[in-house]
Amino acid sequence: MDTISQDEVIQILRIVEESTFDELCLETGDFKLIVKKHGGSELNQRSSRAGEILGHPEAVQERQSVAMGENQAEPGKAASVPEKDRREIEAMGGNPEEGCIPIRSPMLGTFYRAPKPGAPPFVEVGRWISADDSVCIIEVMKLFNTVKANIRGRIAKVCAENGQMVEYQQTLFLVEEVDGAGETDKEEIAS
Amino acid sequence: MKGISRVLVANRGEIAVRILRACRELGLESVLTVSETDKNSLPARLADRAVCIGPPSPMESYLKVDTIIAAALGTGSDAIHPGYGFLAEQPQLAEACATHGLIFVGPKADDLRKMGDKLYARKLAGGAGVSIIPGSELVGHPGEAAEAARRVGFPVLLKAAAGGGGKGMKIVARAEDLRTVFDEASGEALSAFGDDRIYVEHYIENARHIEVQIIGDRFGNIIHLFERDCSLQRRYQKMVEEAPSPAVSPELRREICEAAVRIGKQIGYENAGTVEFMLDQDHGRFYFLEMNTRIQVEHPVTEMISGIDLVKEQFRVAAGDSFSVSQEEVRLTGHAIECRINAESPGAGFSPCPGYITEWKSPTGEGVRVDSHCYSGYFVSPYYDSLLAKLITRGTDRREAIDLMQYALAKFVVSGIDTTIPFHQFIMKHTDYLNGNVSTNWIENRLVKEYEKNGGNPFR
Repeated sequence: MDTISQDEVIQILRIVEESTFDELCLETGDFKLIVKKHGGSELNQRSSRAGEILGHPEAVQERQSVAMGENQAEPGKAASVPEKDRREIEAMGGNPEEGCIPIRSPMLGTFYRAPKPGAPPFVEVGRWISADDSVCIIEVMKLFNTVKANIRGRIAKVCAENGQMVEYQQTLFLVEEVDGAGETDKEEIAS
Repeated sequence: MKGISRVLVANRGEIAVRILRACRELGLESVLTVSETDKNSLPARLADRAVCIGPPSPMESYLKVDTIIAAALGTGSDAIHPGYGFLAEQPQLAEACATHGLIFVGPKADDLRKMGDKLYARKLAGGAGVSIIPGSELVGHPGEAAEAARRVGFPVLLKAAAGGGGKGMKIVARAEDLRTVFDEASGEALSAFGDDRIYVEHYIENARHIEVQIIGDRFGNIIHLFERDCSLQRRYQKMVEEAPSPAVSPELRREICEAAVRIGKQIGYENAGTVEFMLDQDHGRFYFLEMNTRIQVEHPVTEMISGIDLVKEQFRVAAGDSFSVSQEEVRLTGHAIECRINAESPGAGFSPCPGYITEWKSPTGEGVRVDSHCYSGYFVSPYYDSLLAKLITRGTDRREAIDLMQYALAKFVVSGIDTTIPFHQFIMKHTDYLNGNVSTNWIENRLVKEYEKNGGNPFR
């Protein structure tokens, strides 16, 4: 099963809706589906809506109408994602309206997902992280720099390839923010 | 091109555009390093690929050797062209290239190190039988400087051994000023180069700055591409350059070009370089000043009179080939002038003037060349130098080149920020310039004052 049809998504959402589970994370091939019930505070509605489908905006629309009835995506809210981030998330195949926050590379170098060759990656999609967690290593000329998450949330997407060069400020991970302490909220306050 | 198929261009601005053009013409793939501010720059759009290496501050981007090497290796580049400025003359980048099997499109690290030491360069020139300006060895304190100054004769110039770009360079007219100026010069040298070593040179008051373009290959061949006259300077920053020099006779030209080649041969110099001389106009003698181990800002004037593409030649010799021409084939034809169009207010003491360019219209036509990275809507960042464009004109003779320059300057439209265009118009209409009656301090001692007095109007 490489792709999921909209009907299947709706079916999955219904199952989750009726179940006692709060969340579901499904990954198959290039396709990822993260479903969450019971949104948090008003501030975090955006990032904790009942469903997320990265890279499939139409499916998201469908899901929203299922999960929230008439309550469609609020344009004002979506616009609060900084324009630069929006462009970047879109370029990465993500949907900025889903409120994912990027973890960016602090420098140009080689991206490593694990502390050493053969070791398990620091983080996988779906993994909860806190600000102090290491998420990857960027190597510049044999100098290994550990990158911290600096945000609480859950890894929604790994955007860079292990062992490949990443640029300064390139998005490495997309994180679903959970506690309102992330950079988007700071930006909202600033604006 | 053998050995080079993908080039990392480790620079920005007009020189990045210039190098990228050469890459395209040679069929080389290009990767450009960009800081965050330069991500959407003109060269970033011209390059096959642009990689972001850091924040706008050069210290955190364009000056980071490790990051640039990592960018070259990570993009599969096999050569690095450093342009001018930034890391072009830092032995560390050339050395790191050698360590990682990358071709550095420039001289050997060792030559950069040797010629970067101005005292070593003086000795080397002396050893090649070229006159050097009477001067001293290192002077450790004002007393030693005073002793040296008496020997070579006032006025003197205090110069930083690690110097360049006029930093740490001070004129001292009288013995009693020496102590104060010495402290200033060594302090400035320390902050600019991390090296406060100072030496003393006699100051030639009525001088012209004449420099000779040379290029060397891996087989020990060195050719010259004639001289450039860069006497029009303000605070040791060149403003107008031309080739050939109106002050150099064919006889002197032969001598000075031969001297430059001898110096290049003395160190077995590879790639493009410039040997600078001071021409004492009162005595008709020339002295070695220093050698610049890079492609220079003003290289287009040489290209316009020789028909040789210097950046392409740089790639050729870096790849291990020889030049495309022999010395006998290099011909001087016509006359070329370059004006540096900077984002500066000539009416306000040449203070830098960053900001948005609301309108940019550069002149075109036969004999007019504009090397630039600017366009309407471009933001001139305060992080980098103020060079916006190099306007170059070429005529069959000097008069024609000047006429064309006057026309081109008048047609050059830059709105939103101040530029040096009106000052260049003032120069191009000045009788002293037209008659070739200038020296290295002409702009500062005479022109700046006249410009201010006339409110920038040359006809008043």
